[in-house]
Amino acid sequence: MKTLRMIVISMSMLLLCIAGIPFGSPSVSAESGKTYQIGTDVTFAPFEFQDAQNHFVGIDMDLLAAIAKDQNFKYEIKSLGFNAAVQALETHQVDGVIAGMSITDERKQKFDFSDPYFDSGVIMAVRKDRTDIQNYADLKGKKVAVKTGTEGYRFAESIAAKNGFTIVPFDESAQMYEDVKTGNSVACFDDYPVLAYGVNQNNGLKTVTEKEKGASYGFAVDKGQNAELLQKFNAGLTHLRESGEYQKILDKYIGSNAVTAQTQTRGELLLESLPSLLKGLGKTLLYTIVSLIVAFILGLIFGFMKVGQNKWLRGAATVFVDLFRGIPLLVLAFFIYFGIPQAFGFTMPLFLAAVLTLSLNAGAYMTEIIRGGIQSIDMGQMEAARSLGLPYRKAMMKIIIPQAIRIMVPSFINQLVITLKDTSILSAIGLVELTQSGKIIIARTLASFDIWLEVAIIYLIIITVLTKISNRLERKVRRG
Amino acid sequence: MDKIQVEGLKKSFGTNQVLKGIDMQVKEGEVVCVIGPSGSGKSTFLRCINRLEDITGGTVIVDGQDLQNPKTDINKVRENIGMVFQHFNLFPHFSVLKNIMFAPIELGKQKEEEARASALRLLEQVGLSDKASAFPSQLSGGQKQRVAIARALAMNPDIMLFDEPTSALDPEMVGEVLSVMNDLAGKGMTMMIVTHEMGFAREVADRVIFMDGGYIVEEGTPEQVFGNPTHERTISFLEKVL
Repeated sequence: MKTLRMIVISMSMLLLCIAGIPFGSPSVSAESGKTYQIGTDVTFAPFEFQDAQNHFVGIDMDLLAAIAKDQNFKYEIKSLGFNAAVQALETHQVDGVIAGMSITDERKQKFDFSDPYFDSGVIMAVRKDRTDIQNYADLKGKKVAVKTGTEGYRFAESIAAKNGFTIVPFDESAQMYEDVKTGNSVACFDDYPVLAYGVNQNNGLKTVTEKEKGASYGFAVDKGQNAELLQKFNAGLTHLRESGEYQKILDKYIGSNAVTAQTQTRGELLLESLPSLLKGLGKTLLYTIVSLIVAFILGLIFGFMKVGQNKWLRGAATVFVDLFRGIPLLVLAFFIYFGIPQAFGFTMPLFLAAVLTLSLNAGAYMTEIIRGGIQSIDMGQMEAARSLGLPYRKAMMKIIIPQAIRIMVPSFINQLVITLKDTSILSAIGLVELTQSGKIIIARTLASFDIWLEVAIIYLIIITVLTKISNRLERKVRRG
Repeated sequence: MDKIQVEGLKKSFGTNQVLKGIDMQVKEGEVVCVIGPSGSGKSTFLRCINRLEDITGGTVIVDGQDLQNPKTDINKVRENIGMVFQHFNLFPHFSVLKNIMFAPIELGKQKEEEARASALRLLEQVGLSDKASAFPSQLSGGQKQRVAIARALAMNPDIMLFDEPTSALDPEMVGEVLSVMNDLAGKGMTMMIVTHEMGFAREVADRVIFMDGGYIVEEGTPEQVFGNPTHERTISFLEKVL
């Protein structure tokens, strides 16, 4: 009965949490019309990123705020990550998306765009003190850092053969800058505003070329929807351009007189980052705990199937274990978050995708832990219980499981530590847990070493504490 | 009426046929000892009586209930057949008292207080009143086996099966267990005992069954089997063990 109660509690917890996460927090104000839901990226400096107080700032954010004020409409920002924001727009879960989105012919098929509000383009940067690299021809025989999936990457690729340099791809801007600073790569290519912002943040680089003509950014609504919102955006944008406020916003982030990074000591930086990181840690713990509860239930179900008499159930459980133990966690996360929703045409809430990924993966391991624990109990225990007239279930629950649990506890602790660390992999689908919180701070401050060190230490502390608590629990269970 | 009726019992493990056709009855209050060389199928035979082993052929009828009949509630039948194992199989996570009280309470036979009183009575009967709150790991082998007997008796069964109850014991502890079993036989319990204790079998059994190679080779009173065995395999077995 205890297990049943646990299942009910954890299921309702799961439902509660899922219900709490998705997009539509219904905060429509009745008085002055609709509150528009606007989707955006999690971090794409200088267009959208979080400042030290966790407020969304950046060109997109400031522009939208100014336009909304000018046109007198209300909106709410949904920080979803770029891909999720686009998906949310397609499925009408948000009314518009502003996320440094290039206006392309392909996207025009699906969305209606505003007038372009920013002209981007690729630019090259080198280390601040370097004078030998002035143009593309100087790159001959050298290495060049780029960020995967960006215009900068595509541009570098297109001129690499002609100019005789090799490309070194990175996932994050900060890593790319580091590679240039350490001299492994002599230059990097990225969107002009991104690099200009980095230079203003003292990333140790300087831009050396004129920007290539590139894409324009636009505000998007779903095709044929929200024409009124689009109109207001265009009208507001025109007003801001006329009044000069538009230029002021741009200058604030990427102009030559832009607000540069305040000179902070490392201590101040670490201290300032701590609240965001601790909030991320809270998410990490939440996801770990919820996922482990679900995984435990999965483990119980499939574990019992594996030790049971029915060969079909045994087979099904074996398939479950082989499947989810055999797929790398990252691939599973991508498949659940991007693959399945695309195939079936719906938007998967991030929370659900994260919990599913972690609990299916951990569930496979839990199944094996539980199966191993049960099978390690002497057969005589079951026979003695059955010979007294106890039905299989009762014998299992009252005699076998309580003994098996003691054997399983160390493996459970091990799985707890593994799953806690595995949550960091979900930062790849935009889950703002501890690792992603670190990434967000680095996107703003570019302080890779200090922040990653801080993140690593937080992981170490929390895992050590959890292990100590678990070991105490284990001793208690062993004593009976 | 016969408490146990076995007809044409066959049991195979895969291709290995362990019991090749056994016919036997046990009357109410009868004490039957089963002897024979190892591998002769004695233990398997005993385990078929409460269906710890599913049989391959023949019938086993206990208290008028056919164990192979799908309508038979095997759990109900087992409540009435106590079993004692060679390796005790006490529940290590329960105290001695809880080992004994557990099944009657769990199966709704007795309320907690009632079960406690009868468990204490049974502990007294097996001479372990002072061990009620001990855990199995704190007991000697002989004490464990006596608790196991008390645990089986707590369900108040009509039949008791003993599967080599003294084989895992140090020699000096065999006596205390046999003495408890002797008392039980004296009280009229129907018992089937697989044993290597020939002296005990001779003293306590109403009937002795000698098994070899999956068959009952010879059976009769202890006087007949031990004093005047007729089959040569019985003779050669007894020569070795006596």
